[in-house]
Amino acid sequence: MAEYIIRRTLQMIVVFFIFLVSSYLLFNAIPGNAFQNLLLNPDLPPDAYEKVLKTYGLDKPIMERVQLYVVNFFKGDFGYSYKYYPKTPIELIAERLPRTLMLFAIVNIVAFYTGFLVGKVLAWRRGSKSETWITVTSVFSYTVFYPWFALMMLWFFGYKMGWFPIGKFLYPEKWYDAPWDSDVIFVLMIKFTVIISVLQFMAYLLTRGIESLTQRRNIRFGSLIAIFIGSYLFWNTGDALTKKPYAADIAYHMILPVIVVTIVAFAGTALLTRTTMVEVIKEDYILTARAKGLSQKRIRDRHAARTALLPVVTSFIFTIVTIIDGSVLTETIFSWPGMGQLLLQSVLEEDIPVAMATFSFVGIFALIAHLVADISYSYLDPRIRIKSQG
Amino acid sequence: MSNNIKEQEELQKQLRKAALRKNWKLFSQSKLGMIGLYIVAFFLFLALLQPFLFITGIWNPAIYDPVVGYDQIKAELLVIECPKEYPTEKYESYSDCPGPGEVNIKKLYMAPDLQVGEYYDTFIQPAPPSKTHLLGTDSLGRDVFSQIMEGSQVAFVLGLLSATLGVGISTILGTIAAFFGGRVDAYLMRQSDLILMLPSLPLLFIISAFAELKVWHLAVVLGVLGGLGGAVITIKSQALQVKVKPYVDSARITGGSKWQILFQHILPNVAPLALLFMVFSVTGAIASESVLSFLGLLNIDMSWGIMIYLSQTDGFIFSGLDFWWLILPAGLAVTFLAGGFYLVGRGLDEVFNPRLRKR
Repeated sequence: MAEYIIRRTLQMIVVFFIFLVSSYLLFNAIPGNAFQNLLLNPDLPPDAYEKVLKTYGLDKPIMERVQLYVVNFFKGDFGYSYKYYPKTPIELIAERLPRTLMLFAIVNIVAFYTGFLVGKVLAWRRGSKSETWITVTSVFSYTVFYPWFALMMLWFFGYKMGWFPIGKFLYPEKWYDAPWDSDVIFVLMIKFTVIISVLQFMAYLLTRGIESLTQRRNIRFGSLIAIFIGSYLFWNTGDALTKKPYAADIAYHMILPVIVVTIVAFAGTALLTRTTMVEVIKEDYILTARAKGLSQKRIRDRHAARTALLPVVTSFIFTIVTIIDGSVLTETIFSWPGMGQLLLQSVLEEDIPVAMATFSFVGIFALIAHLVADISYSYLDPRIRIKSQG
Repeated sequence: MSNNIKEQEELQKQLRKAALRKNWKLFSQSKLGMIGLYIVAFFLFLALLQPFLFITGIWNPAIYDPVVGYDQIKAELLVIECPKEYPTEKYESYSDCPGPGEVNIKKLYMAPDLQVGEYYDTFIQPAPPSKTHLLGTDSLGRDVFSQIMEGSQVAFVLGLLSATLGVGISTILGTIAAFFGGRVDAYLMRQSDLILMLPSLPLLFIISAFAELKVWHLAVVLGVLGGLGGAVITIKSQALQVKVKPYVDSARITGGSKWQILFQHILPNVAPLALLFMVFSVTGAIASESVLSFLGLLNIDMSWGIMIYLSQTDGFIFSGLDFWWLILPAGLAVTFLAGGFYLVGRGLDEVFNPRLRKR
């Protein structure tokens, strides 16, 4: 196993090197560069363009630049952004990444949970009329043309009903005299959400062993209420009280994107769960459980759904990899200033250092996730063995 | 001897026919699969209907052409003057005036002779659905129904071409990776890692920046990217299961060459999964094309994505459902065709995977 991991890591480094060089060449193959609009400005002296190119080192031959970039990359120097000059790509990513992660972490967790529930019920009610209807709706939301759907929802809830803001991260007019940066508030919100989810998850884990159904349910319900009271107290005391209206503003802007993306995302999990559940229900041990006289719900939740969880979880891991990639469209439509928009803007404006940094960030993320997925396969399913392959 | 071979061929043909009939029976048992098949057939019919209508002359290309056609739709509008304060008896709010069939006199600075109460002859674009234009016309006077037909041609060409190409590549590479293992496998797996590392949408942006993408260019790009990426891994895992089957061993023992085993024994058994993959990847290809056209990055004349793009840039998508024929048909067409292919894929899944069947 250790040998396998070492070999994979070495291969990953080679792959990453190729990835770095090829994407740098790809960005430079785009005609034009980030500073060409300087040529159109009549107020600038004629040699300003050349001077700027020289400052950023863009006048050097391409092979020399690739060499420089790769060497500097492994030294940890990513250069400066062309568009937001004094900022480095790392600063930009550090600013944008939490916003994307927060939005999509909530979406993915909600979508995974509802999708799993729906899929479970779908497989169990096989052949009934409700199954057909739920399947048709989930297929619709799975294959719906996403930008169109998002715009329609934005029109309906944001414009026609006026319930939610039309895109954006916050109302700027509310923040004129705000004593804090929006990022400070947002980091506080992230910490709050993470702590709450961890507490809830802990409560779930601790009560798992309790055999009596009513007792377990009561304890879980109690813990939920305790968390609610705790968070109420937290937001109404001391420092957090003054931060509350600003946090509420950001949260208000998050509702619509979360709902829309969840509607689109849950269906994939639901359909996958249904397929695996249908296969599992055919197994002999389900028949045994039935013969033992266990209740339908118990067979469904405890015996069938648990086994069906494995492929769903692995597909969930792969969904996490595509978060940043998938956020491009959502963030463009909802004008949510996250990683997706940064990625898109830097590509379109040929802000090469930022584009390279985001690309390699996504790349490293994907590589590590693949390795983790491959290793966890062999732990979760003993039938899959990692031998000489790879 | 030759008679014997002929008989054998005849028998094989019959067997194949019987298998086909049995599979069709299994497929037609799946209700959703049949719904999907009907949807796909409907769009295929639309795609084929348009050239037929043009050739037979039922549709005049000057009027109905999806890109350069133009139809003058005359309308008489009553000239009125909008009140200064709302609500009045006729109009509830500012946005209700002018109502349907009316025009505000302030807008008519081009025709200064007209008075309130007279009628103003004009051409309206976009025109609502009528007998001549089943789904109305867009803001340039082009027939929306004809555009939908053109869009379904684009979707079929692109979806099927890229899916065939992608699945062809990934099936061959996946079986090779599973069969040879070792270094070949490692190379192919890292190659698909490399493709998976690249964020797909920004990558397509870059490609569209230095190459003017036509439909079939995009089909090739999507096919190659899809075929080298994650599909190889899935096909490989399936081929690994086939590789350890006893008949592969017996083929090896009886002296079959490597390539013979690969192409005659392993590939045919991976094919059902590959077909399934192909049907599902059509869905993805249609969605990618629509997204790219929606963002205005493709160099094609007309497609469903471009219809939505135009309705968005012309500002109709936020006008609500007053101009529903510009917003709904294109979006629903993308959704339904992609959903139709998905449902067909599910029906096929039940045919190929006996564990999914009802009994």
